[in-house]
Amino acid sequence: MITLSIRPLIETHYVNQVQVFADSPWFQHLEQGQASRQEYDAFIFNLCQTHLKSPQILAFLYAVAPPTAAPQIKHNLLEELGLDQVAICHPDLLYQLATAAGFDGDRQTHLAEAAQAQIRQLCTDPLLFGTIQELGLSVLLEVTCFEWMLSRLASRIGKALAAHRGLPSESLTWFHHHSEVDIRHAEEGLDSVEQYLAYYEIEAEDLETILDITFRENIFVKRYFADLPAIAGAADENR
Amino acid sequence: MRIVEATLFALQIPFVEAFAHSVRSRSSSDSIVVRLRAEDGTVGYGEAVARPYVTGETVAGCLQFMERTLWPAVQATDYVPWAGQEEIAWLGSLTLPAEANETSGVVAWHGSRCGFELALVDCLLKAAGVSLGELLPPRHPVTYSGVITASSVEGAVKHAKRFKQFGLPYLKVKITGEADQERLAAIRAAVGPAVSLRVDGNGAYSVEGAIATCEALAEFHIDSAEQMIPRGDPQALATVQAATAISQMADESLITLADAQTLIAAKACRGFNLRLAKCGGLGPTLAIAELAQAAGIAVQVGCQVGETAILSAAGRHLAAYLPEISFCEGSYGSLLLREDLSRRPIHFGHRGLAKPLKGPGLGVEIQDALLEKYAQQTISLLAKAV
Ligand SMILES: [Fe+2]
Ligand SMILES: [Fe+2]
Ligand SMILES: [Mg+2]
Repeated sequence: MITLSIRPLIETHYVNQVQVFADSPWFQHLEQGQASRQEYDAFIFNLCQTHLKSPQILAFLYAVAPPTAAPQIKHNLLEELGLDQVAICHPDLLYQLATAAGFDGDRQTHLAEAAQAQIRQLCTDPLLFGTIQELGLSVLLEVTCFEWMLSRLASRIGKALAAHRGLPSESLTWFHHHSEVDIRHAEEGLDSVEQYLAYYEIEAEDLETILDITFRENIFVKRYFADLPAIAGAADENR
Repeated sequence: MRIVEATLFALQIPFVEAFAHSVRSRSSSDSIVVRLRAEDGTVGYGEAVARPYVTGETVAGCLQFMERTLWPAVQATDYVPWAGQEEIAWLGSLTLPAEANETSGVVAWHGSRCGFELALVDCLLKAAGVSLGELLPPRHPVTYSGVITASSVEGAVKHAKRFKQFGLPYLKVKITGEADQERLAAIRAAVGPAVSLRVDGNGAYSVEGAIATCEALAEFHIDSAEQMIPRGDPQALATVQAATAISQMADESLITLADAQTLIAAKACRGFNLRLAKCGGLGPTLAIAELAQAAGIAVQVGCQVGETAILSAAGRHLAAYLPEISFCEGSYGSLLLREDLSRRPIHFGHRGLAKPLKGPGLGVEIQDALLEKYAQQTISLLAKAV
């Protein structure tokens, strides 16, 4: 009974997160070409900052993965690093995007530092959860939710950057990769979550609370639109 | 040592989630940060919070009082750096006016005074290379409470479950007179019997209502009921306390030292909620704590919702220093604010535990870039050339 309801419960959160993001005035501005060049660039910066350290985050998830989920996460990690048969390093794709957007050496250094600062913060923030098991679940939920979102919106974002920010197609490979590839990833991500819950014997009630904590604000708005100026009507974005 | 420059930043930092209690609901923090620069270049930070429904201060009023009254007083003083003096005496020597005239609608300019006092303490201690923890040595670790503010019962239960997941042993629940029993029953059921629960009415009840509510909530094992009735006659609070077994705690009723004396004389309550921005800063708050201790009144170290790392740091030092505290609130940092001002996170960790702060002054590194980012208004004040 309980196991059957887990997947739809998680999917409900993902659907809601993606919906709020896609409906947000920031996303609308970007997609409809109403954002300023500065706003497009801030978005590109934030997106790169968010995903540059994906290999590190996946390595953490690999470390805490149950044996059943470990091969899949390892595969994603190697893919991310370009160490699989496709041999495309995803952080490199993000630097291609940054270069095409005209980010100079200084700005790219700043980008790398900002991405590293997020890892540092993850380590210095006092831990609210009692064990790594809960932290690992929260990170896994966030990562798989990103994959879920990208599988649905990455190509729309890529198209918007081509149309309204004039970026050439070859600089948008990261978006192409994460749209088709991650439809599979997103489903596999949910498998991993289920395997994780079973392996660590996490109760449904705790899952619900950790979902609530992880998604108490919109994770995409938070990471992608952090420093964009407030848009009228956007103040109560998160409930 | 002379202070040569003051900058006032009226901030607006968005909350991660909107916050509500019976008096006000807000979606951003509206702290005022006071930055003082001494003649030797040392910089100190203090924080004021204006709460019209507590001290009567507004943000605009605070800024005006700071500019017209506090800044001239600070400029006119040559401060003695701390060199091992007795803590209350030294803090008391930082004479800073806070009296309000009767017509202003302000009980005392305590938020404003707190902002300047903390900035002075931070600055003078930093200049001497000393941590506030040396002036107020920590006597025990600090465990923070969670505060449940959601307006719906469903939301309150969600918050309770989060705090339980974080292992917090103490929770305070804001109540309004609406669905109190349902709320407390649901929260008690969600957190189990081991978690300590207390309530805060923010003055929403009449004397009779307060007594009836305490009676109705007793079955949920409530450890204290804070400010059930509005600030006013201490006798009224004494009536509530006499009629119920639940410890009554004064919050809005306790702003000044004189308030503390009358509450004690009237045997109005068994607990005081000490909040720095409400009581006027470290000096006046410690004076109230001394009175409370002598009278056998329990003290809680409270906070201002939406306070930044500056008030949180000062509150942490105070809480660790006081010989005995019943509960401690604050240090929510980035759990509540989209971004906090300190370079390192201030918020507590699992079980509500937080480390003592050891760095010079208040022990937090404030990021000036964030002050500029979130300032709605900035006022720069320079000392007149001598
Ligand atoms: Fe990737
Ligand atoms: Fe991928
Ligand atoms: Mg209160």
